[in-house]
Amino acid sequence: MLITQQVISGLMLGGIYVMVAVAFTLTIGMLNFLNFTIPPIFMIAGMTSWGLSYYGLPFGLSDGGLHWAVALLIGLAVAAAASLLVERFTYRYLKAKYGDATEHAIPLVSSLGFLLIFENTMIIVLGSDSQAFPVPFHDANLRFSGLIISIPQLVCLFLSLGAVWLLSSLLKGTRTGRGLRSIAENPDVSTLLGVNVHRIVPVMFLITGLLCGLAGIIFTLNYHEVSAYMGNEVAAKAIAAMVIGGLGNIWGAVAGGIIVGVVETLSIHFFGADTIKISVWGILLMVLLIKPQGLFGHTRIGKGKF
Amino acid sequence: MSGYWGGILGILCINIIFAYSIFLPAASGQLNLGGAGFMAIGAYTAAFLNTGLEMPMWITIPGAALFTAAISFVIAFPILRTRGVYMVLATFAFAEVVAGIIINMDVVGGASGYEVPSYAELGLLSVFAIGTIVFVFYLLATRFGLSMRAVHDDENVAALFGVKVRFTQVMTFTIGGALAGIAGALYAHQYNYIEIQYFNILISIFVLLYILIGGTQTAWGPLFGAILFTFLPEFLRLPEMAGMANGGVLAEWRFVIFGTFLVAVMVFRPEGLITRALVDRLRHGHVPDDAAGETG
Amino acid sequence: MDSILSFTEVHKSFGGLKVIDDVTFDVARGSRTALIGPNGAGKTTIFNLISGIYDIDAGGMTLDGADITETPIQDRISHGISRSFQNIRLMPHLSTIENVMLGQHTRARGMVDLFKPMGWGPGRRWADMAEDALTRFGLETYPGQVVGNLPYGIRKRIEVVRAMMADPKILLLDEPAAGLNKQETTELQNLLRQVSDQGVTLLVVEHDMHFVRSLCEQVVVLNFGRKIFEGTPEQVHKDPGVLEAYLGTGDAA
Repeated sequence: MLITQQVISGLMLGGIYVMVAVAFTLTIGMLNFLNFTIPPIFMIAGMTSWGLSYYGLPFGLSDGGLHWAVALLIGLAVAAAASLLVERFTYRYLKAKYGDATEHAIPLVSSLGFLLIFENTMIIVLGSDSQAFPVPFHDANLRFSGLIISIPQLVCLFLSLGAVWLLSSLLKGTRTGRGLRSIAENPDVSTLLGVNVHRIVPVMFLITGLLCGLAGIIFTLNYHEVSAYMGNEVAAKAIAAMVIGGLGNIWGAVAGGIIVGVVETLSIHFFGADTIKISVWGILLMVLLIKPQGLFGHTRIGKGKF
Repeated sequence: MSGYWGGILGILCINIIFAYSIFLPAASGQLNLGGAGFMAIGAYTAAFLNTGLEMPMWITIPGAALFTAAISFVIAFPILRTRGVYMVLATFAFAEVVAGIIINMDVVGGASGYEVPSYAELGLLSVFAIGTIVFVFYLLATRFGLSMRAVHDDENVAALFGVKVRFTQVMTFTIGGALAGIAGALYAHQYNYIEIQYFNILISIFVLLYILIGGTQTAWGPLFGAILFTFLPEFLRLPEMAGMANGGVLAEWRFVIFGTFLVAVMVFRPEGLITRALVDRLRHGHVPDDAAGETG
Repeated sequence: MDSILSFTEVHKSFGGLKVIDDVTFDVARGSRTALIGPNGAGKTTIFNLISGIYDIDAGGMTLDGADITETPIQDRISHGISRSFQNIRLMPHLSTIENVMLGQHTRARGMVDLFKPMGWGPGRRWADMAEDALTRFGLETYPGQVVGNLPYGIRKRIEVVRAMMADPKILLLDEPAAGLNKQETTELQNLLRQVSDQGVTLLVVEHDMHFVRSLCEQVVVLNFGRKIFEGTPEQVHKDPGVLEAYLGTGDAA
């Protein structure tokens, strides 16, 4: 029974990892770019929401703290805007002249720069301490035969899976989606086919910004705690989830996120928190070296030099 | 010299060696995001030899270099099979595994840190730093250095001209490992205390930034990057330390300024601050065709 | 015929698609031979098989009497095979002279040569040799320049010089004249004649039939991975099979 309870918590946690992992896998699959701004964008959504609900709008535009739902929505919007800002200064410069190793590190370095900017600006503005987000629901749990299932967590799990499902059908069914996928295949060819790369790449950053922002506010709602560093641990697990699922594979990232969430809660339960680092990263390293395509991916993606 | 600046110079020496340890594989086209792991292996090897086996520094430092090189050599084969993003992730995962193993090793203090009795003076650090600089410049001036840069630009064509691509990559990865081991050992002896929490992803990221911002085309780039990155944060703290009014603002914002600087460098000088063309121009007055190599 | 390179019943498929189908031909020592055919005929694949980028599925290949079918890619050059590429593949971050010195690699890859500085002392002779070669081929103006932004025609010729530095027995040239203007083409032809006069065999993939006629004395024609003709440039235009291949695809030679 206790184990079933752990599996349920793991599934909920996995739902958060799923969205962040999908954001990572999309940017790698389509642009071959390991986007280090994903953790701070996740954090921006949570911290901004907390700041707004605690202090209210800046410059005295509001009378005290905002309603939690309004705060979360604005947090989501700010995260998406931050992601677009990143696009402006990273991917635009990816088109380097020669396809060799270090020039393609340009977006990587820029995204590390943004990581520092976002995280430290947030620390300066809202401090580096953990903060408690006001809990909107009190004891909204389903209980049956000894199991406790938090309703908001359940709703959030479905919300995250729904978001991914929506995204994947948009990629298949819309013109923009097909354009994005053709960039993943070959940027040069897609330019020839009339896909406007400069118009479509921001769409992708908007999508990943929204996904990370949504993950951030769901995390804030469920775990009631935010800090300037909240994105780092989640992003590390999401990277693991992405690798397990195979780089560039959306449903692989979904499966990977859920696997990592469940394995994490179970191994903490059975072995304690100290060994988790070795097991998660050791498995990750093994997968990368032995089966780099992951459980569901294909080898082509990410092979191009960095 | 005040203790403060002496300390900074000590850090500079370690940073220079560490930067070159990541530069060598990068110059042959391999991005290593696991620098902290290799440095940790060196630091803990030296610390264990020094504390556990009571060896002097003339054994602990070379010992750390050799052991780290050996580990690098062994993992080079599977890791160099990966490419691009996969290699970045694999080296990153390797560093995390190293940290995870050390934190569970009680013989070296586990999570609570480890004392290192022997102290390395600034003089010793600078001997190692200067030695590393000379060595890397020498290496790049040889035909092996030419092979490294050829592999960086185009592995297949390099192989067609008879370059042993795998040999070149494994060698640079291993030599890089040895240098990271030295950097770690010197760090352990400089601070006389190490804890695994220090060797985290941020260290790996920063050292990669030293070389990418400095520029990977010449051996000057990492040197310049390490100097810049060691002094810049300190300079931003100077007003505060001098007790200037509002001096703390600059110190508070220094990481934001730093991040903005990174983004700006990638926009305006995507190949790093020190490029091949810049070095040529400084050396020969000017390059005939100004456009050549500036962006290429 | 004294052949330097012979292909015997070579087959190569990619994912079930037969790209090279039972091809047999010989290249005469010291000759200037052209390999022509419509797009997709398998010409570049032949080059990649010779230089070791792809492995042969079935059949054999000898160079100067030695079987090189199984020789790994980095060892083929020491057998005497050197090449240029359809899209120039110089190392963009190396200077002209360093690119040319890369061509010497196979002659200097012992451990001692590998770790000897190249700019001064005894290692200096490699740089001198590369500079001499550039002077000999009329490219002495650019030694210290990073090649990335040099003009196309210059880079094409540097690639030939680089390939020559390996002292090859046979030089493979993949569309050497593509993208060159008239003057650049003439300069390249002079360069290639110079190379040929030194006794190096040339095997050229080229679309420009005018270029082929003025440079080559022997022609091999491929179509859909099969050899359909072997003879002189004069005969090739009278061959019904060749005419059909070209007219059939609408690709005028």
